[in-house]
Amino acid sequence: MRLLVVEDEPRLLRSLAQALRENGYAVDTAENGPEGLYKAQQLDYDAVLLDVMLPQIDGWTVLGTLRRQKSTPVLMLTARDAACDRVRGLDTGADDYLVKPFDLSELFARIRALIRRSTGQVNPRITLGDVTLDTRARAVVRAGQPVALTAREYAILEFLALHRGEVVSRRTLYEHLFDENDDTLSNLIDVHVFSIRKKLRPGLIATRRGQGYCVEAEPPA
Amino acid sequence: MIRPTLPGRLLAWIALLLAGLLAGIGLAAYQWIRSERLARLDEALRQRTAVLAGDLRFWSAGPARGFFPAGPWPGPRSGTSPVGEGAAATDAREAPAPLPARPAEDGNRPAQSGTHVREAEVRVFRPGFAASLLFGEADVDDHYYAAWDSSGHQLLRSADAPGDLPRPEEPKAPGRPVMAERAGARECSYLSTRGERVLVGLPLAGHQAALRRSAWWIGGAAGGVLALGLGGSWFLARRALQPLDAIGAAADRIAAGNLAARIEVRDPRDELGHLAAVLNRTFARLETTLNEQRRFTADASHEMRTPLAVIIAEAQAALARPRSGGEYRATLETCLEAAQDMRRLVGALLDLARLESGVDAVPHATLDLAELAAAGAELVRPLAEPRQIQLERQLAPVLLAGDPARLRQVIVNLLDNAIHYNFDRGTVRITTRREGGWAVLEVADTGRGIAPEHQAHVFRRFYRADAARSRAANRTGLGLAIVQAVVEAHSGRITLASQLGLGTTVTIRLPVLADPPPPASSA
Repeated sequence: MRLLVVEDEPRLLRSLAQALRENGYAVDTAENGPEGLYKAQQLDYDAVLLDVMLPQIDGWTVLGTLRRQKSTPVLMLTARDAACDRVRGLDTGADDYLVKPFDLSELFARIRALIRRSTGQVNPRITLGDVTLDTRARAVVRAGQPVALTAREYAILEFLALHRGEVVSRRTLYEHLFDENDDTLSNLIDVHVFSIRKKLRPGLIATRRGQGYCVEAEPPA
Repeated sequence: MIRPTLPGRLLAWIALLLAGLLAGIGLAAYQWIRSERLARLDEALRQRTAVLAGDLRFWSAGPARGFFPAGPWPGPRSGTSPVGEGAAATDAREAPAPLPARPAEDGNRPAQSGTHVREAEVRVFRPGFAASLLFGEADVDDHYYAAWDSSGHQLLRSADAPGDLPRPEEPKAPGRPVMAERAGARECSYLSTRGERVLVGLPLAGHQAALRRSAWWIGGAAGGVLALGLGGSWFLARRALQPLDAIGAAADRIAAGNLAARIEVRDPRDELGHLAAVLNRTFARLETTLNEQRRFTADASHEMRTPLAVIIAEAQAALARPRSGGEYRATLETCLEAAQDMRRLVGALLDLARLESGVDAVPHATLDLAELAAAGAELVRPLAEPRQIQLERQLAPVLLAGDPARLRQVIVNLLDNAIHYNFDRGTVRITTRREGGWAVLEVADTGRGIAPEHQAHVFRRFYRADAARSRAANRTGLGLAIVQAVVEAHSGRITLASQLGLGTTVTIRLPVLADPPPPASSA
């Protein structure tokens, strides 16, 4: 999952980005409105964390401009907690609203819920045959046995599982799993997929030659 | 339900005043009517008395006085029936009655009366024609009369005269009619120079009934006027005071939290319209102040929340998993920085609150502005040097009274801004001088300047002129607000002139010390 954090307080931006990366997200950052807007327009982020009080272009304007082009899930972060501010945020098209200071655990839960909703997934658990993903704990269980995946492997599996039934190109996977500072080569994804297949089940992720990878939509059992 | 409302009180006063006035006028009118009626009544009595007295004089002056038979007078008709007053009355009444028939032939002349009297064998006094006309029939005219000769014998007595009619007392001035009131009747008595007495009376019952009727009329009219006046006053009072209700309603709405409520001004020229306009202006200022306060509170909480968010996020992230000592150290450093930001902000907010509430009276020590400026410049030198910003000083000593710590804060804040918003290798010039009654401090920079649309707002709390404001450390957004508050606490003035790209000059004028102490030693 790739996130964009737009926040003008450098220390908060740094610690947020670090905490999110440690939770398996790929994180891009922007310190002002124009930069944030540009990045959000260029890439399909899984979610955007947007501060309201931003230099040059404020959060409302960024959100309004972005909404004319994209429906990227946006979580507004703000130090203003007046009801009218919250209402304005939601009315402008924000998907959620969090008042500073916030707990990281709440922020993470809201981001997970935001991404889940945007992919049409309601349940935090995703079941693929005998393989179950717990998106809260970022853990995978196969036939009742926990399976240890690396953070990268889990991220790839989760993204494919959330978009199951779709063919996901390597480029898309790359865009959503690595942030702007990552210089990992794209072919490393094949290595990770190979490893996932070995740890779980060979047929779990199908390779569509020349197109990408796909996790089959499970027929309702 | 009776409430002591303003119209009610007004009305009570008007009622009191009106009732007093009407009572006065009514009483005067009644008195006037009474005296007028009494005068008319007396006139009629006097007239009748005069006529009767004339008749009597004429009768008694008759030539056959010597032939008067001896014996008691009055004559057989009135005198011989002492028992039956009624009979005597009938006679007396009948006596004048036949008169009119006869003298009608030769006119109303006393001579005829005399002739007529003389014709009678018994000299019975009978009123003349004029008298008979005046008195008329008993049931038409209520006047009664009686006459006595000089010896006290009753010569005549009308039928409707009261039975106990006494002979009038000897009046003090004979020959003039005397008015008196007796037993519910008004009487006029006359004593002729010869000693004959005439009395004409009128029972006052009719007069009193008429007076009562007048009193009722006056009372009724006064009541009507009072009712009309009160009704009109009530209407007018309600109408005039209606704007007060509107004012009260608007004040209620504002008290209930609707700060935008205003009073509808109907006529701004009258007193209530003026009051409404004044109140509206007050409400507007109140609204502005409260909105500003609200905005300030929101801004302050915003400024506090950001460092708090840093501390919480940083600490929670650090605690999420085991870290190396270096990582913990970095986390603690970030938290410390954020906490220090908060401390600075709290300090600045407290400063502002103290200055604005006027809790701290400004201590008035005698200070040299030039010394303060030099000390301030020395303090900010470490900020200017790394960016190669020149600090120019043109300091002329000027004495003033004030709080040294606060004024130093002002100078440092201004210099800090001038350095912070300056270009590298720019110049900051600090000047002190005396201009008339003012000690002037000027801080000029060669920085990027402030756009005209922001210049009016830079002294507002948390207002940041540059859109690309940086959250650099040490900038609370309250610096200029504190400067302004300190200057105002010193009864000074602050002005700002700026040109985009060229720089900003802040000028502070403080009242110079009234009479500076003579310099101890002039250099």
